[in-house]
Amino acid sequence: MSFSGNVITRIGETRTGYYYNESLINNQIQFGRFNSWLQFEFSDPPELGRKFNGLRKLRLEYINGPLQINLGDMYEIWGRGLILNSLDDQTIDRDTGIRGIALKYKTDSFNIHFLTGRNDFSFSTIYSPGYDSRVPNYTASHNIYGANTEWLINNHLAGFTFLQSKELHPVNTFPVDTLDIKNRLIGAHYIYNNSFFDLYVEYLKNWSTTLNQDKNKYDNHIDGRGFYGNINFYFSLFSINLEYINYRFGTLNPTNRWNNVDNYGMSLEFQNPPLANLIHSTTLLNRVSHQTDFNNEIGYKLDILGSITDNYEYLGSVSQSSRSHSWVMNDDYSWEKEGDYARIPLSKPTATPFNTIYGEITGYFMNYALHLKAGFAFSEDIIDLILYSKTDTSKSLNYTYQSAKTLPLHTTYTFSNGWSIDVKIETQWLKKGLWRYREMNGTIIADSLISEFYDENGKQIDIQKNTFISMSIGKTPKWTVAFTLDNTSISEISFGAPSDDVKTSSNSLEDFLGLDRDKNWVNIEFAYNVTSSIRMSLMYGSLKGGLLCANGVCRFIEPFDNGFKMGLTAAF
Amino acid sequence: MKRLIILSILWGALLHAELLNDSTIPNLSFKILDGGEVSLDELLKDGPILIDFWATWCAPCKKAMIHLERFQQKYSKDGFNVLAVSTDSPKSLSKVKSYIRSKKYSFIVALDPNQQIAQKLNATLLPTSLLINQNKEIVWFHQGYIPGDEVEIEKQILAVLDYKKAKVKSE
Repeated sequence: MSFSGNVITRIGETRTGYYYNESLINNQIQFGRFNSWLQFEFSDPPELGRKFNGLRKLRLEYINGPLQINLGDMYEIWGRGLILNSLDDQTIDRDTGIRGIALKYKTDSFNIHFLTGRNDFSFSTIYSPGYDSRVPNYTASHNIYGANTEWLINNHLAGFTFLQSKELHPVNTFPVDTLDIKNRLIGAHYIYNNSFFDLYVEYLKNWSTTLNQDKNKYDNHIDGRGFYGNINFYFSLFSINLEYINYRFGTLNPTNRWNNVDNYGMSLEFQNPPLANLIHSTTLLNRVSHQTDFNNEIGYKLDILGSITDNYEYLGSVSQSSRSHSWVMNDDYSWEKEGDYARIPLSKPTATPFNTIYGEITGYFMNYALHLKAGFAFSEDIIDLILYSKTDTSKSLNYTYQSAKTLPLHTTYTFSNGWSIDVKIETQWLKKGLWRYREMNGTIIADSLISEFYDENGKQIDIQKNTFISMSIGKTPKWTVAFTLDNTSISEISFGAPSDDVKTSSNSLEDFLGLDRDKNWVNIEFAYNVTSSIRMSLMYGSLKGGLLCANGVCRFIEPFDNGFKMGLTAAF
Repeated sequence: MKRLIILSILWGALLHAELLNDSTIPNLSFKILDGGEVSLDELLKDGPILIDFWATWCAPCKKAMIHLERFQQKYSKDGFNVLAVSTDSPKSLSKVKSYIRSKKYSFIVALDPNQQIAQKLNATLLPTSLLINQNKEIVWFHQGYIPGDEVEIEKQILAVLDYKKAKVKSE
């Protein structure tokens, strides 16, 4: 019998009253053919999510040769996750785990996996009453059963998947009504591998039906389909990687696109398919991430990745995506689809396209003591279509637009005595606002961006320049101290007017350094390895809020103003 | 009061944290990048292994891997092996093989896209490294990577290899 586990604690408090205190304790016990996992949570409140004190997750596994039985909380990926990819992502408070029972039978050439259980998925949404950016205000429940099977013959693998969920879905009626929905998904995937290239394709079809008012029959509601393809070619020192997505689980008009409370039976929470854009881990690039519309997105991503010699690496990436068709308003200003479904991304603004290019080069010098990385990214995203109407003589088009040029730089130097210096500098030029286009009798009378950035005097500014600087000094294997400055040239209007009350509340690092607190977020963090299995960190200062994206899902995070954060991770 | 209780639990855990060393791990099965599966028992057949959890988007992980490849080449003749477990989700899974091939890494790469192996081995941060001896005991556990950590990693590898050599001699 063996016993192990870990403790993760995060505590934070600001002078403006923001507070969180959360601890997760994971225990793993193994005895013979049994493994168990228990996760306790003590949070009052957590950084994101509802407060909870007690046993949060539990799982018992029985493994005997090719047979495995799981009972409790499960996180599973079937194929590349087009039908099932359940995960617990604490950074954005997204938990799509399934509590139930699973049976797996696996040999070298064949495997089959049955699963049944329940998933309660909660999230914060402005489309349900009681919106709070930290605490979920909406929950949908799914009773799920499904099976996934795969056969491997030489280099070929074929898989088939079926999953059904009976969903209880509250909608915005008064009084609130809960719909009884049946979602069915059926899919197939195929993999081919050899030393020169590999191929992955997956296709799925979904149907949803809703229980009628007499509660005796399910009526057809909506059906959709999804496709994902990936081909990689491998050469001696580089590879080419192409990914293509075509998700059409539901085509919602631009006004309703993000309202997954009143629109249902489309992409489900426990589906979490691949994206057609690069996932960035640097701060400023993450903030301009494209939010994939999992109901309706067509796109591709082409990467070239390689080494020049042992000391140089490069990455080039191009990606493009859009809705499957464009939208236009009819005479009564309601939306209707324009044109046929596309198979490749559209570039028309009325199909809300996104495109980005990214290049990066990394070098190691002086026997790996010096590391340098420089990148360049350009992205252009039409986030939402607001208005598009046309007559024989006129055209009016409004959409929210964002484009960014970003230069991330990163260097590290390691001294022979164990000290190291690490510097990250990221610079970004951001354009954001409402793009307005007007055409009358064939003459363009307006085609420009109304920026959402204003200076202190109320003058509109086209470009916001953001700079993120992080400098750290470390001494292996014990500690690092990092100083971080997150600067913006112009306050964003969404943050509101600067508050005098906050300014007088005191002693912040920004004040100490003589920096404008509305445009700078400064913090200092000390991380210390108490032992090889205990790591603690202490941060003082401020963190800028904004979009935080993880696994292709983004949420807006409130800023953290002038406070302490403590983190502790211990494995035992 | 609640804060006090939580802190007490934490410090209690901290005092016992060193118990991790020498605790044994179950015979896990790893899904290999080039297809197929390999068990921990099979991996430990020749000697100790270092399990390293990483991801293609994790910059410190990539820095550490350069040194792990060096250790793989230097100590594989003594039966030591590195197992690099990618925790990339399906969103970035397609880049794993491309990265490994372009760097010509020779160590074994496994996939853990839903982080279930990482969870079983308490790898809550990236990178996390575990050095496992042939008795399936965790002899060293390390979280994060500070440039220069490779010196400590090599020291720990040598210690476990010395132990192995001494054991072979005594037998």
